[in-house]
Amino acid sequence: MKTRGVFAAAALVLLLAAPRFLERGTLNDIWNVAFAVILASAWNLLGGFAGQVSIGYSAFIGIGAYTTVLLSLAGWHPYATLPVSAFLSAAFSVIVGLPTFRLRGPYFTIATIGVSEAVRVVAAGVAFTGGSSGLRMPAGSFDFQRDYSAMVVLAVLVVALAAWIQASPFGQALRAIRQDIDAAEALGVHSTKYKVLVHALSAALVALAGSLFAINFQYISPNSVFDFRLSLSIVLMPIVGGLGTVAGPVLGALLFGYLQIKLLSSPALRDSYLFLYGGMLIAVMLFEPRGLLGLYRRVRGRITRSFSRPVPDAG
Amino acid sequence: MPADAILGVEGLIKRYEGLLALSGVTFSVARGEIFGVIGPNGAGKTTLFSCLVGSVQPNSGIVRFRGERIERLPNHAIVARGLVRTHQIVRPFRDMTVRENVSVGAHFGRARLRGAEAGRRVGEILEKTGLVRKAEVLAGTLTIGELKRLEIARALATGPEVLCLDEVMGGLNPSEIVDAMKLIRSIRESGVTVLMIEHHVHAVVGVSDRILVLNFGLKIAEGKPMEVVRHPEVISAYLGEEAV
Repeated sequence: MKTRGVFAAAALVLLLAAPRFLERGTLNDIWNVAFAVILASAWNLLGGFAGQVSIGYSAFIGIGAYTTVLLSLAGWHPYATLPVSAFLSAAFSVIVGLPTFRLRGPYFTIATIGVSEAVRVVAAGVAFTGGSSGLRMPAGSFDFQRDYSAMVVLAVLVVALAAWIQASPFGQALRAIRQDIDAAEALGVHSTKYKVLVHALSAALVALAGSLFAINFQYISPNSVFDFRLSLSIVLMPIVGGLGTVAGPVLGALLFGYLQIKLLSSPALRDSYLFLYGGMLIAVMLFEPRGLLGLYRRVRGRITRSFSRPVPDAG
Repeated sequence: MPADAILGVEGLIKRYEGLLALSGVTFSVARGEIFGVIGPNGAGKTTLFSCLVGSVQPNSGIVRFRGERIERLPNHAIVARGLVRTHQIVRPFRDMTVRENVSVGAHFGRARLRGAEAGRRVGEILEKTGLVRKAEVLAGTLTIGELKRLEIARALATGPEVLCLDEVMGGLNPSEIVDAMKLIRSIRESGVTVLMIEHHVHAVVGVSDRILVLNFGLKIAEGKPMEVVRHPEVISAYLGEEAV
């Protein structure tokens, strides 16, 4: 645990110092990957640790982004809007979660698809969000150095939070819920309460990422922040990386962030990302359900076994 | 309900579609008792336990635990009050170690222990249930006998006043059954009231202070073990009418 803390601190220092020696293009890539790390790790708290799969996380990105832009246009400092967007997103997650988490089965997952699409349609249809043409941040609110640092710090904090939750009784309750919700209840775990709590926490973190996205991009529209494809990649990153682990979503986000950058810069591959995502999902399901992290552990296990002599059985 | 009763059940009814699983069961359990529940397959024994702890809602009837009515409370709230059950078909968290499985009970049961205190309690219970050597092993790799003990260990870790054991001897060999009987007695010695459903009539007669017999959701006998097993209705329920 201590070595991990040192590692996280070193990574943070290095990333924060990066603007001194890296080009703007590379920093942009790091920013993109940090954004993906936050989304994947935050989703994994609910989807991986607690096993409650949501396919509607773009709703929380959108709520965060719109809250920040609207309040900034009303004269707020962009960063003063962050607590508000986290709070609104968490409140919205409770409205979605309370009725559906009481039910067993896939009701929650189904509800999340409908709700996120409904939010997108509303955002595109009403006047104060600028409709489908979107909204622009007020002039003079842009400062890449600052926005880069904010995204990187948030990414490291979210991963640290995930590691802390995993080791805590709270994380244990979530794992118990994922594996056998009735057995968890039979040992005193208030499953609905913990599901609602972790959903709210995860939604708040995703909304913060949405706010930082809006501040850096300066322009948002329903099709950029409420995109269903965004919801899908949020689900795929942790699954491909390793569901329910701390490092898995980070690995998945690194891979997807890198792929996205490569694909978008190549006109020939631009529209093939769905094909690629689908292919990766099938490969993971068929060959390594525990994702890249599971693959790494398996390979490492093989290597150490073949290099170490058999240990006499102590049992 | 007698004055020393820790658990009282009155007119408990549970209906599933087209089936009356419990048709008005009434009994009470005294503090510190070992109270056996027997009956043929489909008699409603497991449904009774499910209704007691709130994992299933009864259609009508009253359940009083330490004087408080609990029949409408959810499962986790009843565990928090100190009434816990184990499952006949074991339900371990397979991807957790044995120690982690038990600590879920310590963290979220009535005791709600944290940190070193939880660790101590879990250690004591692993010792008591003979799972120390398996503590760091994934629960999915245990044998059926170990899984049955894990069910008991997790339930004990919640810090119950009343522990409902659902067929913890099913699938055990004779020497394991003797160990299980010892364990159940020692649980009672530690101040916990025990209800137990059991198919091994010899075992249940051997450890119980009193026995309740169910058949088709109805109580057909209740009393001292030796009286109950000689009861004509009990004999006919188990062996058929001709045997009487």
